[in-house]
Amino acid sequence: MDEKEKLEKQQAGRRAFLGCLGGAVAGGAVAVTAGSVLPKQALAAAATTPESPPAPAAKAYDPTKHKWAFGVDATKCIGCLRCVEACKLENEVALDAHHFRTWVERYVYLDGEDTPHVDSQADPVNIAAAGTERDYRFSNRYKDEKVDKAFFVPKLCNHCTHPACVQVCPTGATFKTEDGAVVIDHTYCIGCQYCVQACPYGARFFNPEKRVTDKCTWCYHRITKGLMPACVEVCPVSARVFGDRNDKESTISKFLADNRVEVLKPETGNAPNVFYVGIDKDVS
Amino acid sequence: MEALFTPAAFTGYTYPNETVFPWGVLIVVYPYLTGLVAGAFTVSSLYQVFGMQRFKPVAHFALLASWCLMLFVPTPLLLHLGHPERAFNAVFTPHWTSAMAMFGYFAGFYILLLTLETWFVFRPHIVHQAQTLKGLPGLFYRVLTLGSYDLSEKAMRYDSKWIFALAVTGIPAAHGLHGYVGFLFGSLKSREWWSSDLMPVIFLFSAIISGTSLLIVLYVLSCKLRRVPVDVDCVKGMGYTLWGFVMFTLLLEGVEFANIVYKGREGIDMIMLFVSTRLLIPFFVVQIAIGAATPILILSFLFWRGVAGKALVTGITVAGCLVLINVIMMRFNVVIGGQEIAKTGKGLLYYPWELLGREGVLAAASVLIAPFLLMLLMVRVFPPWEDETKALSH
Amino acid sequence: MPKHIVRLLLLLAGFAIVAITVRNHVVDKSFYKIGHYRADAVAEIAQDKPKFQGSASCESCHAVQFTAWSKSIHHSTDVGKVVKCEVCHGPGGGRDPDPGYVHAATGPVHPVNLKLAVPTDSRTTCGVCHEQIAARPLQQRQVVINDHAGTQQCTLCHDAHSPQTFNGSLVATAAPGNAVAGKSKAGACAACHGAAGITNASLPGPTLAGQNQAYLAAALTAYKTGKRSNPIMTGMAATVNSADINNITSYFSSLRCETSASIAAQAAAARKAGAAMCTNCHGTNGVSTSSSWPNLAGQSKDYIAAALKSYAGGQRSNVIMTTLAKSLSEPEIDKVAAYYAGATCK
Repeated sequence: MDEKEKLEKQQAGRRAFLGCLGGAVAGGAVAVTAGSVLPKQALAAAATTPESPPAPAAKAYDPTKHKWAFGVDATKCIGCLRCVEACKLENEVALDAHHFRTWVERYVYLDGEDTPHVDSQADPVNIAAAGTERDYRFSNRYKDEKVDKAFFVPKLCNHCTHPACVQVCPTGATFKTEDGAVVIDHTYCIGCQYCVQACPYGARFFNPEKRVTDKCTWCYHRITKGLMPACVEVCPVSARVFGDRNDKESTISKFLADNRVEVLKPETGNAPNVFYVGIDKDVS
Repeated sequence: MEALFTPAAFTGYTYPNETVFPWGVLIVVYPYLTGLVAGAFTVSSLYQVFGMQRFKPVAHFALLASWCLMLFVPTPLLLHLGHPERAFNAVFTPHWTSAMAMFGYFAGFYILLLTLETWFVFRPHIVHQAQTLKGLPGLFYRVLTLGSYDLSEKAMRYDSKWIFALAVTGIPAAHGLHGYVGFLFGSLKSREWWSSDLMPVIFLFSAIISGTSLLIVLYVLSCKLRRVPVDVDCVKGMGYTLWGFVMFTLLLEGVEFANIVYKGREGIDMIMLFVSTRLLIPFFVVQIAIGAATPILILSFLFWRGVAGKALVTGITVAGCLVLINVIMMRFNVVIGGQEIAKTGKGLLYYPWELLGREGVLAAASVLIAPFLLMLLMVRVFPPWEDETKALSH
Repeated sequence: MPKHIVRLLLLLAGFAIVAITVRNHVVDKSFYKIGHYRADAVAEIAQDKPKFQGSASCESCHAVQFTAWSKSIHHSTDVGKVVKCEVCHGPGGGRDPDPGYVHAATGPVHPVNLKLAVPTDSRTTCGVCHEQIAARPLQQRQVVINDHAGTQQCTLCHDAHSPQTFNGSLVATAAPGNAVAGKSKAGACAACHGAAGITNASLPGPTLAGQNQAYLAAALTAYKTGKRSNPIMTGMAATVNSADINNITSYFSSLRCETSASIAAQAAAARKAGAAMCTNCHGTNGVSTSSSWPNLAGQSKDYIAAALKSYAGGQRSNVIMTTLAKSLSEPEIDKVAAYYAGATCK
């Protein structure tokens, strides 16, 4: 096949794909504004009532036009864990202490100690404080200690530029989309969990119900509809920032321009696309 | 409702998702089986390719054992998969940057190669049985002949050329298959305990020693069961092979461990804590002292003192048993041990042992035993023993 | 070539052809279209319905709460501190993964039961962000809940949607009056409230100097209308009109008394006296933190204790004070009163 022919074929493929995606988005949008919010009986009424907010125009989402990135300002994080809860509900993640698409870590340096005490909402002490695995709280376990320094660090999939998980996937069930999200095709994954092993960040887990690997998608079903990922949507202190790097006016572009950012475990060469402000030497 | 997973207990800090072990004892069994295959095939090739006559008594059995074991190599993986019915996705659309995508091809090719070689090796027997047996067993052998009873000198010349070619191809294939398993672990940068360039080589050499040991043990056992005298020269040859390879394996493992300790990269504190407490007995005592150093001492003593006869056979068999323990322990310490050190470098996990269930100890033990049951059957269908084959053809 | 080898090769060739055919048939048509994955999978993943709808979707049904919230500190867009509706109420759309699942803090998820999920335990709901714990950044408002609220719910005092609006607090409706005119009318007050509005142990009335005007006006009005009753004050209040009330209260409010500075040591003392919760509004030194509440500096122990008892007994009523006073035993009331009686106003 010569180059021109190849190019044409690719473009034709993309057009077909976009058509499909456009349909999906339109369907989703109608459901969002009517079906999922109102009772079923009201569905028909809502669709015809002129007062009801009009469904956003179904605009085809073009993955090639976006370059998503995520920012975390750890100095703002208050450890309320609403992001963790929102993520679990939005993405129907198993409601236990062993499966998280996002989580928050707490680093506490006690007086006279060089290494931090680290825990997350999944720590047994914190589960005991919340009273249930389904609720997420940081217990006040250091209230009687002398604390030198302490901070929270929200974690999620880094949607790396060179994702180790995608590299090791034997089937092509996990891949990096053209707009930068690393996602999983749940209908194609064989469940070998090699990607779970390969991720240096512990961002992946095995979905015990679907029996496939699962992970953060940056709420791909939301960002393709112009919404923010659920964790960003609910963060009450704007510690989480998300947006399109192709848009110079976006929050993430400004976040990256205004801050000296770092990434986690840069030595792995994965080149994360989740950028941190205000983390410390012991954060990994 | 039955729990869908068993979470692991932990100390220190681990990523929340790490509390579910991705790989369990089935994945310990998997490299053990491939190792046995590669090792047994190596011994068979020493005769088939390099013409080492002293291995003739076990050459055919080694091939048959390889075949039986190889047939079960995919089973632990299939049992482990979340969706075994989708396993062929990895073969239909192999993602070439993944070491694991190679498995289907490596394993498929190797099973085919072993089947062909076994077929050629046992073709005279197949033809003989096809001509003498009646009924269903006869039909079985007649199908296997592919409708040709040609045992002429010309045909046999062709066969031996094929056998030689297959045996030569089989060496890189067997070692590739097992080196690949080592690469599977060694190429992961996420785990300090695995991430080592030496991993494929270590796996390869531990494979050879496990296969050789297995042959020693099975050969001596079969001679006892069949009440025929043990070919001491053959066992001694395998003893020499074992001695050399165990020596080299031990060296490699030592070098690798020294590398981890000496480089002392991030997370070394946790590794040192791990090896000095939890891994003390499985690693230093069982794997190194009992499984590797003791057999070397036994073998060295036997060869140095020139022990012969029954004592030599007993000594080498004991050494072989110990090496088999060494290798399964090594697989365990790598696969499970690697996952017990948290990726955070700040915590340790405890592997949650499970008896029942798809990935429990019982399933793993069954997978480990199954090839030997198949072997029991296969030595009746294709007798690999030289003395019996001779008796049959006369 | 011998027959068996030819047949073997044919067998292998046949197998290869079947394998390749099966493969070409099975592999998804969209695979390899963009990269090494099913291109269709991208659209499938994007198809899921969002569950979190955003605050704008709440406004049409819950306009009152929405308006209160949108003007509150929980909607500080300038500093990026926006606590959206769904942070406390859970996702507005979609289906909960576990039907019948009742969230510990937010109850059944909207709209499974077609009702807004209302947090019942505001100590938990507010505590997730405002409980003082290590690692929470200093710029985040946080309290030691047991000190700040005792065993009470946050919503006793704070409006849930606009937390800096306080339930039952005095809205400063009293028009500022003429203090000079008020002084001329206030001659009779000195008998009980002291010459400069500062009382002492021998006088029955409370200190009025520097007191919040709105509070004084509300009190005087309450005596006049009969909402509060006191043998002396009921009679006194009957003699003044509403203009007088404004003038008199402005006069007393304009008087100043010297109070002690609020210092950290007082907080510890207040906690020891069981008055930690009181200090949220009335200050550690008896000077209230907002004009919504009265100062306590300079009041006699008896006056404060009597006020608390009348709240508990129902003779006086205030949405916050009634609940708080009822939660105190008589010895506790005495302890609290004794603490504030020590806060000077000279």
